[in-house]
Amino acid sequence: MPRRRDEDEYDMDPEEDEDDEAFDDGDEDEDGEYDGGKAAKKRRRSDFIDDVAEEDDEEEDEDDDDEDYGGGRGKRPKTKGRSGSQFFDLEAQVDTDEEEEEEEGEDDFIVDGGADLPDEEDSRRMHRRPLLHREDDQEEDIEALERRLHERYGKREVEYDEEATEVEQQALLPSVRDPKLWMVKCAIGREREVAVCLMQKSIDKGSELQIRSVIALDHLKNYIYIEADKEAHVREAVKGMRNIYAAKIMLVPIKEMTDVLSVESKAVDLSRDTWVRMKTGTYKGDLAKVVDVDNVRQKVTVKLVPRIDLQALANKLEGREIQKKKAFTPPPRFMNIEEAREMHIRVERRRDPNTGDYFENIGGMMFKDGFLYKTVAMKSISTLNIQPTFDELEKFRQPTENGDGDMASLSTLFANRKKGHFMKGDRVIVVKGDLKNLKGTVEKVEEDSVHIKPHEEGLMETLEVSDKNLCKYFEPGNHVKVVAGATEGATGMVVSVEGHVVNIVSDTTKELLRVFADNVVESSEVTTGITRIGDYELHDLVQLDDMSFGVIIRVESEAFQVLKGVPEKPEVALVRLREIKFKIDRKINAQDRRGNKLAVKDIVKILEGPCRGKQGPIEHIYRGILFVYDRHHLEHAGFICAKSESCMLVGGSHANGNRNGRPFLPKPSNLRTPTRTPSPMRSPRGGPPMHHGGRFKGGRGHDNLVGRSIKIRQGPHKGCKGRVKEVKGNTLRVELEAQFRVVTVNRDQVTDDVTVSTPYRGHSRFGPGAETPIHPSRTPLHPYMTPMRDSGATPIHDGMRTPMRDRAWNPYTPMSPPRDDWEDGNPGSWGASPQYRPGSPPSRTYEAPTPGYAEAGTPRDGNPAYVNAPSPYLPSTPGGQQPPMTPSSAYLPGTPGGQPMTPGVGLDMMSPVVGGDNEGPWFLPDILVKVGRNGDDGVNGVIREVLPDGSCRVALLEGSGGNGEIITVLPTEIVPVQPKKQERLKILGGAHRGATGKLIGIDVDDGIVKLDITLDVQILDLKILAKLPAEG
Amino acid sequence: MFFHIVLERNMQLHPRHFGRDLREKLVSKLMKDVEGTCSGRHGFIVAITGIESVGKGLIREGTGFVTFPVKYQCVVFRPFKGEILEAVVTMVNKMGFFAEAGPVQIFVSNHLIPDDMEFQSGDIPNYTTSDGSVKIQKDNEVRLKIIGTRVDATEIFCIGTIKDDFLGVISDPSATT
Repeated sequence: MPRRRDEDEYDMDPEEDEDDEAFDDGDEDEDGEYDGGKAAKKRRRSDFIDDVAEEDDEEEDEDDDDEDYGGGRGKRPKTKGRSGSQFFDLEAQVDTDEEEEEEEGEDDFIVDGGADLPDEEDSRRMHRRPLLHREDDQEEDIEALERRLHERYGKREVEYDEEATEVEQQALLPSVRDPKLWMVKCAIGREREVAVCLMQKSIDKGSELQIRSVIALDHLKNYIYIEADKEAHVREAVKGMRNIYAAKIMLVPIKEMTDVLSVESKAVDLSRDTWVRMKTGTYKGDLAKVVDVDNVRQKVTVKLVPRIDLQALANKLEGREIQKKKAFTPPPRFMNIEEAREMHIRVERRRDPNTGDYFENIGGMMFKDGFLYKTVAMKSISTLNIQPTFDELEKFRQPTENGDGDMASLSTLFANRKKGHFMKGDRVIVVKGDLKNLKGTVEKVEEDSVHIKPHEEGLMETLEVSDKNLCKYFEPGNHVKVVAGATEGATGMVVSVEGHVVNIVSDTTKELLRVFADNVVESSEVTTGITRIGDYELHDLVQLDDMSFGVIIRVESEAFQVLKGVPEKPEVALVRLREIKFKIDRKINAQDRRGNKLAVKDIVKILEGPCRGKQGPIEHIYRGILFVYDRHHLEHAGFICAKSESCMLVGGSHANGNRNGRPFLPKPSNLRTPTRTPSPMRSPRGGPPMHHGGRFKGGRGHDNLVGRSIKIRQGPHKGCKGRVKEVKGNTLRVELEAQFRVVTVNRDQVTDDVTVSTPYRGHSRFGPGAETPIHPSRTPLHPYMTPMRDSGATPIHDGMRTPMRDRAWNPYTPMSPPRDDWEDGNPGSWGASPQYRPGSPPSRTYEAPTPGYAEAGTPRDGNPAYVNAPSPYLPSTPGGQQPPMTPSSAYLPGTPGGQPMTPGVGLDMMSPVVGGDNEGPWFLPDILVKVGRNGDDGVNGVIREVLPDGSCRVALLEGSGGNGEIITVLPTEIVPVQPKKQERLKILGGAHRGATGKLIGIDVDDGIVKLDITLDVQILDLKILAKLPAEG
Repeated sequence: MFFHIVLERNMQLHPRHFGRDLREKLVSKLMKDVEGTCSGRHGFIVAITGIESVGKGLIREGTGFVTFPVKYQCVVFRPFKGEILEAVVTMVNKMGFFAEAGPVQIFVSNHLIPDDMEFQSGDIPNYTTSDGSVKIQKDNEVRLKIIGTRVDATEIFCIGTIKDDFLGVISDPSATT
């Protein structure tokens, strides 16, 4: 045992010695006290060390009330004592750091370079001495010690206080009359040794040796300082000594003398409740709260969240074999005494003699309320620039301490304030002193006092308050900006103030931020904090490297939160800068459910999906996906991702008011309506492939460039046209038309194939990507219609188009994707003959007279798509009225859209003029019509049957002048009766053709219809509604 | 608070609207442009009640647009700090709840909800007093006091409190039905 002890001490002593450091220049003038004080101190220190080292002696020390917990802790080894490997255990265990810390802490009194430090033997002896004391009558001894210490050092402190003035300080500075400091070279690493030797020499020789003192500084290698009046004295003193090279003796200039002995350690005034951080050991970096300060011993007692591995502790206490040193540090966790007891860890409850508080003692560690109370050297804690985070503070905010936690953070924070913390005009509150809770406004700021003008009535003049006693003050409702801390840069409104902590609702995220009032300034600015990293800014649309895209909804310190472009459900990804490929910044348009063109900033309403009902301006459009910003939407920074087809335009900048004539709409808008109404149903999912022999792949949902004809603008293939096969990020694979090969070009090097915009294109703009089938279907309709209104049809058509052009004014029209959409489908089917279409209407004109032509004509065109095309159209041809109905729908399963497009209907509605001529196809049995033969006023009748040639058998109603007879009339002779509000009706066109319903409202030209079957409410053009005869 | 004030605005009119209905067009465009907007100074323009005067139009060179200075009377709504408002709760979460008074969105933080009201998550998140007698949930009407406003170009956002006498729920549609 003794052997081992020695080891221990050996192990420690050198460290101590190394740590020796001139601590206090004040010691210089207290030479007289050295001896006693030193010895006493020495003892105390040894006390402590012995605690650690000497396990067996402490068994009976249960009631040892050494006021330092460290001492108590040191007892732990007693139990593990027999394992033989204690020393290493020590290292492995939690308290490792403590040893280091404590050792570090010991050096305060070695000022004199160990002048009184005996050799190793001596020191060891001394170490043992106090131990004996402790065994006997420590209490007494300690008290005596304490007393003595106080006598000496307490006095000293007082002196210091007194000599606080600068003048007196100056008087203490060395003058020419004082002994000088000489710097003498010695062997590296032998500085202390040399100093000790000199001390020995001085003891031996007494006054013969004329040097005053010797100083070995830890931070200065290779030299020691000797204080003496003359260089000769120094030479005399060092003569005959090893390791010292008297050849080099340098005088330290008077000015620098103070520097030699000044300690860099900043005089930190540690006070209770200050926040500090541990510098070393297991708790390194942990926040701790000072609960007690012992300035004499340079020790502080701190409160920590323990990091204790109970299992390991239990093992150790039971003396079980413990695995080798573990690499990990246990996570901070409150100590649960019950848990510890369950693990058969011995827990004692003791009263602290100083404070009178009870502590749980486990293996020498003191716990209270789950916190670990630990005494450490002041050196092992850092007190500067402590910025406790809220998480950390929360942990300390135990129920027992209410409110004073804030004060604690206050005192620390105040110490960390920057210069110029307060500014004129700041509102402040006094937090300490007589004037506590006085509010005021800063009038003037001086070095460390602030002049404030109190808000209190009757207190007119300004008061001077120390800035340490002041704290910024905010009121709920103030708009502030965070100027420091984790949320730096954010702005928001103060919702509440809890002492020194301000709760803020962030402007952008609407989240609650908790910040220190000190870190906040009043501001009217609105920001989010950081809004950009690299090239990417908040709310940018970006392409990610996994080919997905999304909007940046939040910028964090190193990453972005991106709301991905997945309409089904909001998906947020956290991406780093490098995962973003590029910013998508293109003017892209899309079409809403009704075929309205949508541009950025248009306001849309979302009709489907999880965010149904939300509405707001479009922020981005990409690949048919809209990112809509709804300020009422609180998730994802208000961004909603939706398919363009599931949205509807509600006016806004491009208000094209397709519905219910807006004031500024040119007349034709009404005519256009039908074109649009049908569009939602048009987009037949299965349609396009069918019509285009599957050549059209993907369609818009995929990527609106795929399958599109483009022209290459730049690069080696400049001027070539081709079709896009594939889109890969920023590059396209293009199949060249002229050469049969596929080349890769940059996206920005291509232009959409600019072919002459034909009337048809104009239309197509209104349909969503997949609408191509319309085209085929619509074209045949021309022949059909033209015969009758040969000249009329075209102009009307034109007229109808005008408004669209109108809309298309916007700069990007020529390139606008919507038109390209149509081309999506186009090239495949029509591809080879783009010129064909413009020409087609005229040619059709001649074929038109009989409906049959349409079919006949198509094959002639040799266009496969065309063969299909007539199908939707068939039903409308007068010839094939009823029966074809079915086939047609069979033809386009799930695409009732085909029908609305059916030419007759579509066009009729577009052009009332034409409508008069050939409304035949619209009619359906059972509807109420007005038969206006021979210019009669008209007799109401009900269509009983629609004949294949388009004429109808109408039963005239008796009530309206008819006689119940059934007549056959031409479609031109009858007009459907428009329903009035609350009347039952049948729908003649659109997706719901044939359906019955009830008119529940009229909105200018549109009727609001409640369908019988689905009970859905639809808004349909009044023209396609026909009244049903009253029942019975 | 609502105010009936006279504002002025320069309206740009496209030449195509020139003609007999010019004034009407101007008015309807004014309504379209102005109603529902928000200015920091005046608050939300709720409705235009009348036109004071339409000044002489000035043709813009190059564009052909004509600018008319229009003075109009309108009702504006501007929330003030300290004002008591009645609002409809639109969303409740653990941070507090949002309510709307017309176009104004008001946030009431949980710090500004009486301490005896606790947040209850669940299907319908709400704040309930310990005895369950008062409940704040979506669609409730509350009376609150505005303690702070933030005015942007396009919206006014307010922070409110119900932690005061006579504030809180004033009607609970879910309770009555």
